[in-house]
Amino acid sequence: MNGRAPLLSVRDLVVRYGAITALDGVSLEVGEGEIVAIIGPNGAGKSTLLSTVAGLRRPDAGGISFAGTPIAGGALEGTVRRGIAYVPEGRHVFAGLTVLENLELGATVRRDRAEARAHLESFLDAFPILRERAGEAAGRLSGGEQQMLVIARGLLSKPRLLMLDEPSLGLAPKIVDQVYELVTSLRRDGLTVLVVEQNAGRALAAADRTYVLNAGRVRLQGRSAELTGAPDFDAAYFGLKD
Amino acid sequence: MGNLNPIQILVDTVSVGGLYALTALGLGLIFSVMRLANFAHAELVTCAAYAVFALSGQPVAVAIVASVGTAMVLALATERLAFRPLRSADQTTMLIASFAVSMFIQKLLIFTVGSRPKPVDPLPILAQPIAIAGAQVSLLKLATILACIACLGALTYLLRRTSIGLHMRAAAEDFTMAQLVGVRANSVILAAFVLSGFLAAVVALLFVAQTGFVHPRLGVQIVLVGFVATVIGGLGSLPGAAAGGFLVGALATLLQALLPAELRPFREAFLFLIVILVLLFRPNGLWPAPGLKERV
Amino acid sequence: MTAYAAAPHAIRPAERLSEIWRRSATLLVLIAAIALLALLAGQADAVLQRRVIFCLVNLVAVVGLYIFMGNSGVLNFSVVGFMAIGAYTSALLSMPAAMKGTFLPDLPLWLGAMQVPHMLALLTAGVVPALIALLVGFPIMRLSGIGAAIATLSLLFIAYIVLGNWDSLTGGQGSLMGLQTYVKLPVAAAVAGGAVAVAFWFQETRWGIALRASREDEVAARASGIRIPRVRLIAFVLGAFVAGVAGALFAHFQGTLRVENFYLDLTFLLMTMLVVGGSRSLTGAVAGTFAISLVTELLRQTEVGVTLPGAAVTLQTPAGLGDVALAGVMLVIILFRPNGISGGREIDEMWRRRAGRKHRKLPEERNA
Repeated sequence: MNGRAPLLSVRDLVVRYGAITALDGVSLEVGEGEIVAIIGPNGAGKSTLLSTVAGLRRPDAGGISFAGTPIAGGALEGTVRRGIAYVPEGRHVFAGLTVLENLELGATVRRDRAEARAHLESFLDAFPILRERAGEAAGRLSGGEQQMLVIARGLLSKPRLLMLDEPSLGLAPKIVDQVYELVTSLRRDGLTVLVVEQNAGRALAAADRTYVLNAGRVRLQGRSAELTGAPDFDAAYFGLKD
Repeated sequence: MGNLNPIQILVDTVSVGGLYALTALGLGLIFSVMRLANFAHAELVTCAAYAVFALSGQPVAVAIVASVGTAMVLALATERLAFRPLRSADQTTMLIASFAVSMFIQKLLIFTVGSRPKPVDPLPILAQPIAIAGAQVSLLKLATILACIACLGALTYLLRRTSIGLHMRAAAEDFTMAQLVGVRANSVILAAFVLSGFLAAVVALLFVAQTGFVHPRLGVQIVLVGFVATVIGGLGSLPGAAAGGFLVGALATLLQALLPAELRPFREAFLFLIVILVLLFRPNGLWPAPGLKERV
Repeated sequence: MTAYAAAPHAIRPAERLSEIWRRSATLLVLIAAIALLALLAGQADAVLQRRVIFCLVNLVAVVGLYIFMGNSGVLNFSVVGFMAIGAYTSALLSMPAAMKGTFLPDLPLWLGAMQVPHMLALLTAGVVPALIALLVGFPIMRLSGIGAAIATLSLLFIAYIVLGNWDSLTGGQGSLMGLQTYVKLPVAAAVAGGAVAVAFWFQETRWGIALRASREDEVAARASGIRIPRVRLIAFVLGAFVAGVAGALFAHFQGTLRVENFYLDLTFLLMTMLVVGGSRSLTGAVAGTFAISLVTELLRQTEVGVTLPGAAVTLQTPAGLGDVALAGVMLVIILFRPNGISGGREIDEMWRRRAGRKHRKLPEERNA
């Protein structure tokens, strides 16, 4: 964290669905240039946390600030303009639009047209399959290709923070490798990444720091390398510790 | 129908179907971005037709501009005053609201101009028939066909080749995701209303030219059939709406020609029966929208 | 969750009895309101009496609309079509043979010669639409949302087109005249009370509760074993029965019948009454009908011209403004009070809220 102000800071966040409390006072920080993972079992509140930061839900209590300014409601389309690209769980490609159109949509908020175009081309170079199928409906890509497409689409907005929700879900191990290769390569460009994973091993391997979330609360946090062997890791992950 | 010259039937079918297609597209544009079945589209057509009537003495260009302007302004006004506050409401509430908006404008129109039909003939030049391959075809019907093709072409260009078109198609598939990549909700919705207003005005102009009358329920007649077309084509699918429009035009012409005389008055009942059948067996229509998710 | 903490034990028989009694309060108050309205109207002049009868006939129709739409939350545009079928059924069964000969010379002989007592005709006017609803409803009850709206709207159009062109049976676009006008205040009030009682009975049955559960959460209701199409169909058929009876009342109140009367305007009027009152409760259906009837009547008065006591000028609004205002009222309610006057609650629930008992579980929640 190097003592600098964090890029994203979440304080005592509470989110409820009716009688169910999904997040029960979660605090976390993501520093500029860091890769941070949130892991935890199903229903821990991981996805709720990301979607709340993305502006899809309003917190019932607590605050979120990004680059020093509080994020308070506003239109959903403001999220990406602030510099937050959110890639939700489930590979939301625009299935009826072409691969190229999906990528173009990623650059919706860019003003630097020429640069954005070059950026887009760089993704087509990096993933030849996307170039090959640029004119096809995105819904016809394989799961792994769709995952690459939505991450590329998120990156095309030139975000300061990329939030990935379960990028490995339902993908073959080889494809997951590729996804995480991409994620770690982004660090070189100075991008900050917040990734939610159920696949704890992957996340721990890729992230600088990791938070373990269970039943709406942060149970454990620290440098990923140190967490891996921590004696209370299993207890925190499976909610045995309170 | 009289004699069944194939060219004449074709021209009839395409000119009738074209109007339905444009109507269905107007409805489909709104439905695709808002999931709103907009009954008030009928009044966009009606009011545009009355604008033509109100300016009958003026040069036809003035009347056309005025009718397009009327329909667009009205479309934007209904969006701002009635539909925007209900954007997060459920489909049923929005549908009832659009029914109420439709009735409100219709009754206001009856209140101000009366309910009696009034004659109007905006395009008298197009009245004379011309002969094509032995068939007498009215110039007006040909103009209708041309206008429909032009509108379809322009709309396709707009949706496929411009960024607002891309944004609209993205929003139609997944509104939330579109917003997350930065598409502005208000821009796409306003664009959809402006376009639907434009299409309503084109339909009004051509329909009035064909029938020679305006009356306060004129739009309702057309828009109900337009709904049939959107459902048959696939709610939320724009190519489906256009195809559905032509199909309904063809069905209407065919039923008129093929049904025994005593069943002909029931022609439209068959159309609505087909709608129910499509809803039951192909709930997403014959040409479903690609990304349209069935909402539970 | 916490509301039940105060009453952890099972419901005792005495409590259950008082629960039933409390719930029945809604029915008693609604019936009393209808009776009171009829009694008061009995003292009024003939014109006002006619308005009240018309209001009560509309109430029957709105209750018919409510039984399906209110409990299921699914839009239903077909009610007026069923009204029309009921109206023509009753007319054809009860018109004197000589009249039929004049207006409908092409009727099948057996129908032309038939004349049954009014009450039997009224009952048949409910049964025929109910049977048709059973037939057409069976497939379309699977639909929800927009699909249901367009399918039921299509039913309305089909009824309108068929009745409007079936010249030998209905006289087509012309008017059918000479129906006996036996629908006076007592008949209208009695049938309205009966319709309200039927709707109340229905919503207290297992089916009614299941249907409201499906309205709140279709997925959860299905998961807890409710067969949604079936409970919807029951309500749809019952609603069509009540609507058919309303149509017959309408016919024998006006004395003339025109297919034109059973179309979008009437559909809008009934829907306005239900939505303004609050479509989620029977109380709302009744309140909305009374409120809209009152508003319509006041607007009609101003169209005739009103002299306020002590004022020198006569207020007079131009004809046709009433319809505009009606649609305006509907819009304002949808935008600013989407649950209507009643807030979607029954009278007993309003009392309980007022009594400060917080959040007692509604039956649908209990079920889900």
